[in-house]
Amino acid sequence: MTSEVKIPDPLDLDRDEEARLRRVAGMAPERAPAGEYAGFESVGLPERPPQTEREREVYSLEEGEMLVNMGPQHPSTHGVMRLVVKVRGEVVTDVDPVLGYLHRGIEKLCEEATYTTVLTYVDPMDYLSSMHNEHAPAIAFEKLFGVTAPKRAEYIRALVVELNRVFSHSLMMGFLALDMGGITPILYGFINRDEIVDMLSAISGQRMLFNFFRVGGVNFDANDEFFSRLGTWRGHVLKNVEMSERVITDNEVFRSRTIGMGTLSGRDAIALGVSGPNLRASGVPFDIRKAHPYSIYPELEFEVITQPGGDSNARYLQRIAEIKQSINLIDQIVDKMPHGAVQAQVPGIIRPKPGRAYAAVESPRGLYSVYAISDGGPNPYRFRMRDPSFVSLQAIPKLMPGRLIADTMAVMASFDPVMGGVDK
Amino acid sequence: MDFDLLLGVLRFLLATTLILVLTIPTAFVVIQMELKIIAGSQLRYGPNRIGPWGMFQSTIHGFKVLAKEDHIPDQADRATFTLAPWMVYMAAAMSMLVIPFAPGAIAADFNIGIVYFFAVLGLSVVGLLVAGWASYNKYSLLGGLRSAAQMVSYEIPLTLSVVGVVVLAGTLNFRELIEWQRAHGWMLIWQPVALVIFYIASLAEINRTPFDMVEADSELVAGPFTEYSGMRFGFFFFAEYVALFIMSGIMISLFFGGWLAPWPFPDQLDGFIGTVYGVLWFFIKTYIFIAIAVLLRATLVRVRVDQLMGMAWKVLLPLAMVNLIVTAVAVLVFKL
Repeated sequence: MTSEVKIPDPLDLDRDEEARLRRVAGMAPERAPAGEYAGFESVGLPERPPQTEREREVYSLEEGEMLVNMGPQHPSTHGVMRLVVKVRGEVVTDVDPVLGYLHRGIEKLCEEATYTTVLTYVDPMDYLSSMHNEHAPAIAFEKLFGVTAPKRAEYIRALVVELNRVFSHSLMMGFLALDMGGITPILYGFINRDEIVDMLSAISGQRMLFNFFRVGGVNFDANDEFFSRLGTWRGHVLKNVEMSERVITDNEVFRSRTIGMGTLSGRDAIALGVSGPNLRASGVPFDIRKAHPYSIYPELEFEVITQPGGDSNARYLQRIAEIKQSINLIDQIVDKMPHGAVQAQVPGIIRPKPGRAYAAVESPRGLYSVYAISDGGPNPYRFRMRDPSFVSLQAIPKLMPGRLIADTMAVMASFDPVMGGVDK
Repeated sequence: MDFDLLLGVLRFLLATTLILVLTIPTAFVVIQMELKIIAGSQLRYGPNRIGPWGMFQSTIHGFKVLAKEDHIPDQADRATFTLAPWMVYMAAAMSMLVIPFAPGAIAADFNIGIVYFFAVLGLSVVGLLVAGWASYNKYSLLGGLRSAAQMVSYEIPLTLSVVGVVVLAGTLNFRELIEWQRAHGWMLIWQPVALVIFYIASLAEINRTPFDMVEADSELVAGPFTEYSGMRFGFFFFAEYVALFIMSGIMISLFFGGWLAPWPFPDQLDGFIGTVYGVLWFFIKTYIFIAIAVLLRATLVRVRVDQLMGMAWKVLLPLAMVNLIVTAVAVLVFKL
């Protein structure tokens, strides 16, 4: 005596929604999808009708074309990024980067936090350049609050920031090779990184999210362990870099994979807002450390390095040159470092006068800047971060069409985006 | 009943079983070499926990794949999806039949051994193509098509380079070929160009770096193997390493005198001792070339698909043609 109970569907699925859920569940759509979905059945994309002209363009397929979803789970998307790649055979005809898989709302978190604790939230943004992430807000807050860090603190800041740049760039060398199938250089990059991270953990107490900068100074003074590790590392770092260079720079296969690939002219790079090593690799001599000097950089001697090529190989060579430049800067900083305090007198809870401040630093990925507005309260009214890899990603869809699938990853790796920073 | 016929059938059954069983330790040893050599070049230790020097690491890997869930995607073509690993594995295992390990230690001493070898090894491309198609996955499909394009293209220079060797030695039998090399010196002196072509093309044929287009992990996740898991994936993996062993073995048989020892040693001994002696030299030479292939993998980056095809058709094929014609003319003129 079973009476058939019809459970009302709480979702009240309409036709399209049902088809979408079926697709998500891996079932064949029972009914042909209607209207805007026509043609997408085999793709499983998008999950809603196209919203913009651009989306309509990407998701409409011609005969012989196919959409391939690269990511968010893919061996080489540098974190959780999704590239919707439209291919005709092996040739890429369009690329649509889909972002937001790593969004943690860091800007909002920072607006809820006091000025002191903001510096702990920005660390995991661009997790390969945590020191730079802290540097920009520290400068901005000091401007807001009208406090200056002691000289020694500024030197220690510049020192750790340059060390961070070295390890970030050496990892980029490895990742670029890894995305082309070279499995060895990444290990050399990590050896270099490990030594630097040991150093930075000696000075800050942590290995990845350093939490080292303070408003008006740094957390700890440089100790003996730090300097001893720095000396050991400095003794052999150039040999290490040369070792990884020997594996890739003159490798004929590597050269044929990178020279002429993803060529970005200086004009285009400026128009797209690309900055940092990627911009300088296109021949534009723009370096925040020279153009808008901050910290102690006016006191150091260095030239802005550029490469003429603008292709993947130029971006790679630019990183190598910058590693050597940073090592030179580290020498100068250690040479000139004064004695003294590392922290200015700052109250426990900072309440700056209402106002606004902007600070930009040269991060390993380019112009990283912070814009903070104070309304007189203990936390920033607005806290905005410009992340360089987010802007660099704009260049990817422009460079891809006409290239092969193999080049999408190789060119993307040459821009060295970090998804933690892109999605914030 | 003819006793000789019965003996022959028995011998054949025994030999094929032995060869099939031999593929397993072969793959384990090659995998172990790969793990250790790559670890060395990356300044790591490599496996060092299971057994002395981590020797049983790959055995454990083997048991691990056996225990894994064997998943078939819903929309995959079940029959061909199941069949594909078997085809790839059997292509590798069957071509092992004609490998001349030592005098008296050839599983099947055909008089057309060389033809058989290339015919059977070429079958593996069918398995890869089927795997790519049956998986119902775009990466698999692209990988399968790549494998078809790559292996078909490289088979031509590969085979043409060997034709030069065959013309010179006047035989298609591996045993006679090695006897010829014993009399006239190793083939590498006579056919250096063919050796270079053969080496490059053989790396491409067995999908080794820098030609591992098929399973380019940073582009196609795992190519045709993307949807495979458990022992089905294990068979692909096995087949790949067995193919590396076979290619090295065939290369030393064709160009480096097979089981013959290098100069300061007596090049061949008689009887059972001779067999052991031959096997020893065969394995030493083969593993040297496997080590070179592994070092290449640790060093080089992957070439792009169009560069790969360009190389096969624009460089290797014409070179192999010229080499073959020059060899043939020389044989005619000098009555070699």
